[in-house]
Amino acid sequence: MPGVIMKDLIKRYGDVTAVEGLSLQVKPGELVSLLGPSGCGKTTTLRLVAGFLKPEAGEIWVGDRCLSSPTTVVPPERRRMAMIFQNYALWPHMTLAKNVAYGLRFKKGISTADRARRVKKILKLVQLDGLESRYPGELSGGQQQRVAVARSLVVEPEILLLDEPLSNLDANLREEMRFEIRRLHEAFGITTLYVTHDQGEAMVISDRIAVLHKGRVVQVGTAEELFQQPRTRFVAEFIGKTNLVDGVAAEPGVVARGSLRLRVASADLTPGAPVAVSIRPHEIQLVGDPEARALGENGENRLRGMVQRVSYLGDAVDYQVQLDGSDVILRVAAPPSLRFNPGEAVGLAVARAACIPLTEGGE
Amino acid sequence: MWLLAALALALLILLPLGWLVYVSVSSEGGPTLAHYGKVFTDPHLQRAIWKTVVLAFWAGLVSLAIGAPLAWLSARTDLPGKRVIRGLVMASFVTPPFLGAFAWVMLAGPNAGLLNKLYRGFTGAQEPLLNIFSMPGLVFVVAIYTFPYVFVMIVNTLELIASDLEEAASILGAGRLRVALTITFPMVAPAILSGFILAVLQALALFGSPAILALPAGFHTITTQIWALFHYPPKVEMAAAFSIPLLLATALLLLVQKKLLGRRGYASVGGKTGQRRSIQLGLWRYPALLGCLAVMACAIFLPYGILTKAAFSRAWAQPMTWQNFTLGNFRFTFFEYSSTQSAIVNTLQLGIATACVGGGLAALLAYIANRRIILGHQFLAFLALAPLVIPGVVLAVGLFVAYTRPPLLLYGSLWILFVAYVTKEMPVGYSQSDATFRGIHPELEEAGRILGAGRLRVLREITAPLARSGIIATWCFIFIGVIRELSASIILFTPSTKVMSVVIFDLKEEGQFGAIAVLGLFMLAMTFATVVMMQTALGRDVLAAKE
Repeated sequence: MPGVIMKDLIKRYGDVTAVEGLSLQVKPGELVSLLGPSGCGKTTTLRLVAGFLKPEAGEIWVGDRCLSSPTTVVPPERRRMAMIFQNYALWPHMTLAKNVAYGLRFKKGISTADRARRVKKILKLVQLDGLESRYPGELSGGQQQRVAVARSLVVEPEILLLDEPLSNLDANLREEMRFEIRRLHEAFGITTLYVTHDQGEAMVISDRIAVLHKGRVVQVGTAEELFQQPRTRFVAEFIGKTNLVDGVAAEPGVVARGSLRLRVASADLTPGAPVAVSIRPHEIQLVGDPEARALGENGENRLRGMVQRVSYLGDAVDYQVQLDGSDVILRVAAPPSLRFNPGEAVGLAVARAACIPLTEGGE
Repeated sequence: MWLLAALALALLILLPLGWLVYVSVSSEGGPTLAHYGKVFTDPHLQRAIWKTVVLAFWAGLVSLAIGAPLAWLSARTDLPGKRVIRGLVMASFVTPPFLGAFAWVMLAGPNAGLLNKLYRGFTGAQEPLLNIFSMPGLVFVVAIYTFPYVFVMIVNTLELIASDLEEAASILGAGRLRVALTITFPMVAPAILSGFILAVLQALALFGSPAILALPAGFHTITTQIWALFHYPPKVEMAAAFSIPLLLATALLLLVQKKLLGRRGYASVGGKTGQRRSIQLGLWRYPALLGCLAVMACAIFLPYGILTKAAFSRAWAQPMTWQNFTLGNFRFTFFEYSSTQSAIVNTLQLGIATACVGGGLAALLAYIANRRIILGHQFLAFLALAPLVIPGVVLAVGLFVAYTRPPLLLYGSLWILFVAYVTKEMPVGYSQSDATFRGIHPELEEAGRILGAGRLRVLREITAPLARSGIIATWCFIFIGVIRELSASIILFTPSTKVMSVVIFDLKEEGQFGAIAVLGLFMLAMTFATVVMMQTALGRDVLAAKE
């Protein structure tokens, strides 16, 4: 089972650069998501890997084979890959069984009987047995999706590529299929690249996530790493909700914005350099005014402010708090058991470890 | 294979045009502009240009006056029998205009025309009511077979405008008329204008109707003049020089039309999915229906009627009695008149060959352009659509010049007609195939590739079956276009390579109206049989598929 290595890929469409020096390694048997907003180059990257596009620069390696470079591109049909498309791309003129069996015809050493047996087996696995003679037009969206999955898995590809395969399903089914795809990945262990713009989807499905922005990989890591230690402003904002406070590095471990001084998780900052600090809303603890006076410092951040707006969300209450003597407004997600009203003075406690300084990138 | 197809296209288009330009400026003493000088100073030729401008403009205007209201009625109101009306518009669309012109000679010729005879009989007047051999007569006959272009343009646009766009204006306080003037009309305006331009283009390029109606009336149009320049002794250089202005005029008009349509995008925004509610006509339904039927009477009922009558009569101008009834016209046409049988065979051979080869080439080119297979694929569409600006007569002049000299001596054989038809039908074939391939999502092919099928296998096993009905429809469109073709054939034919339309034209010279009617009906029957085939293949209204 080989992995995939992408090295310094560049792809342009006319004047527009879709992929700009992208590098990424997918380990054998790993499922890596390419996550980013539309136009970040994730689909272009996937199509480069599939061999539908030729890179202007860079290389793509699978195992010890160089599949793509500016001089040679191995055609898609000889890459031993499979792909699941956004619109499933089922052939409307072929029955479900023929759709699924199609790729097996090009694998050597598989007899007709063997072929039929494999199709039967995979259809059972995706719970479509008994529908072999239906046409795609006669299937529901979820069923079509499973045909597409079966068609790709039955050929036992070295690499599996998925291009936003869940975006055409309704919300409930989408949730269900996330777990289904993860289950299939664990069962087959195929090296997989998964393109999505949905961070929730990426977090459930992937071993690792590569966040793409403007044609580059800005950060790679597990869902937990990306959420808790974002390195750039873009990643912090794209994965989950966050507060961003722009300031300047002061003494070691402190970022200043006017009179506001935040103790942050890292001491390794260049004094005078601009730093954005990311604070997740649920990491901020709200306390009433009297208690705030009683809280000791203990080397953590103790702030004071006034509640501006309160939104009840059921499982949490969303507050907007204006900090005293500062232009900073923080969003706070607090448990509903504790209630404050607009105009009330409150204290805020934020652990030093929850204030993540973002030093990379201007945005 | 891809490159070969592209090369064939380039050769097909550029060779005749290149020769046309070359011949128009060449003389024994080297390059010259003398031919152009003559063209623009000769009073006869000047008059032909002027008459053509008048004809094209008025034919465009009358087409608009007929096509626009008909389009609105059929797209937006509860007019009864809308399907039938559309079918009849389709019939008028595929009726060869020169057949219509013949029929109208029998209907409204000043002496023997049926309508004039009826008029004289009722009023006792001596003077004819109508004279089809006149500019207004010509404009009328051209318009009743050209208005479908306007109709299709406007219907297609109207059907993209969702009612909620209009209702949004109503809810803001705009009255019905205001909505029509400020919302609907501006959105349809580009389509109206480009429909008008299309109609003008048709009228400019037309040869048959002017040849039948204008020549007896004593004037030429550009197309008939070019044809006349080919009469003995042929003045090819003059014809070429005279063709270029016509070519430039059509190119210019088409450019304007494209610009207009390019901005049409906004009309379709929010369309398609939006619902359309039809406007209640109330009591106005009946006058509206009557108006539509009147148009159809002029374009279909009366002409088809008189052709049928003439086909079965000894003397077409006499009343239909048992003494006058005969099947002799059929016997004469098919068995006694020497050129008919070979002409039918020629026409069928050419029709089938052109539809197969031309359709295949067009499909290949459209596929290349759609999937961007070769470098410079952007130019393919431009080249393939280029014959749109080449009137048939002009194309024929170019082909005549190109293929009457080595290395390719095609003149005198069916090959030159074949090349002419393939070139002339290329835009139709290309745009039909283009629409077909556009409708096939590239992902369907990519899914085959990634699973291990090569490009050609995918083309054969996935693309071709999905494109099948579209390709059959393209085949039919080309076939219909070929069997009715007159304007290029009339210049390129030789006695041994006559086609049906040319024979009909010959019969006119001999005054054989009965035989014209028989052959005309035969041609119509072939056309409608093909239309039915195409409807079945597409499983939908053909007019809706035509851009």
